[in-house]
Amino acid sequence: MDAFLDALNSLGQGFLNLTWESAVMILIGCLLLYLGIGRKIEPLLLVPIGFGVVLGNLPLAGLSAQDEGGVINLLYISGVLTQIFPVLLFLGLGAMIDFGPMLANPVVLIFGAAGQFGIFITLLLALGIGFQQQEAVSIAIIGACDGPTAIYVTSKFARELLPAVSIAAYSYMALVPIIQPPIMRFMTTKKERATLMATGEKQVSRRVKILFPIVAGIATILIAPMGAPLMGMLMLGNLLKESGVVGRLVDVSSNAIANIVTLLLGLTIGASMLGGNFLTWDTILVFLLGFLAISLDTVAGVALGKLMRVLSKGKINPLLGAAGTSAFPMSARVVQKEGQKANPRNFLLWHAVGANTGGQIGSVMAAAVMLAIMSGLGIGPLG
Amino acid sequence: MDWTFGLTMTIAGMGITFITLYLLTLLIRLLNKLFPYKDEEKKDNK
Repeated sequence: MDAFLDALNSLGQGFLNLTWESAVMILIGCLLLYLGIGRKIEPLLLVPIGFGVVLGNLPLAGLSAQDEGGVINLLYISGVLTQIFPVLLFLGLGAMIDFGPMLANPVVLIFGAAGQFGIFITLLLALGIGFQQQEAVSIAIIGACDGPTAIYVTSKFARELLPAVSIAAYSYMALVPIIQPPIMRFMTTKKERATLMATGEKQVSRRVKILFPIVAGIATILIAPMGAPLMGMLMLGNLLKESGVVGRLVDVSSNAIANIVTLLLGLTIGASMLGGNFLTWDTILVFLLGFLAISLDTVAGVALGKLMRVLSKGKINPLLGAAGTSAFPMSARVVQKEGQKANPRNFLLWHAVGANTGGQIGSVMAAAVMLAIMSGLGIGPLG
Repeated sequence: MDWTFGLTMTIAGMGITFITLYLLTLLIRLLNKLFPYKDEEKKDNK
């Protein structure tokens, strides 16, 4: 009888060790699963993240990212903390991205710089609130609107913020169609939004498409070597695609590698969201500052768009500036939609995709510059 | 608040990002001039 009771007692340990924080996190995990499966919001990310949250918060399961020696802990250490996962994601991204519209109309690349403005203002705000330098940089990088870049920077400097920063970065990327339009409408008149741009896709020679990732990779890495893993992989992926001679490598980079890494990254990030480190005031601040960062990116982009409209004597639609964020291709779609609302004859998608790919380069460049400055100032990882 | 760090990061960060992307636009223009899209490629694309 005693043995039977001992066995029952052992079986009930999970329930006995369930804390209210773990229970809340399991509910949050289920909410993420509902959003991913039921509402189809970023399912590729939210399903593995949501299930990771559930697994990581089940007591005694040994499946949180912090459970030393556990399967997910090993994946977390070898993939996230070493930055291998975000770097490999950039390889896949490069193999999927088409820089053609940007190469045909290089002026839109400048929007990719304006689209990073929110990063730097948010950095000042985070410092003002009292976050340490490394934390402020990690929070500000949410404004890059780029999940892998945010994970890359945060895993280097402020690992305790990694769950909050990555969830905020991916959530806001998905929410771009909700966040950007009101700002775009507030900052522009209907006449400005209705500005027609030249239609007809300009062609770019194959040589330019092949040379761009090589030349741009060399130039940007020479300027800010700290961003080399991200920029190098982005450009390698794109070179594989544009070379036209390594179809198998393009296929494996843009499908198998990108999918495997997305799955493992989502699972491990989810399993790192534990009640103790996630249900904090800092997490709320991270989400608020991240929202501000992405909003300010849009404000700066549209403001630059308005300036460019004046300088080009009405040839550039200011909405294009909103596509300077790295949220690809969501921002470009938003620009197209808002442009057509103002003028049904407007077709901005092609130009907006160019600005949006410029945003990809801009976000990596901004991160690389921040890493270089941190290194120059002798600021290392927190703790 | 660490103003020195914050302002260094903001001014240098934003400035270098802008300058780098501007240099890239010049580089792209140069590449487009050196290797313009040719009629042969148009035919290939058809």
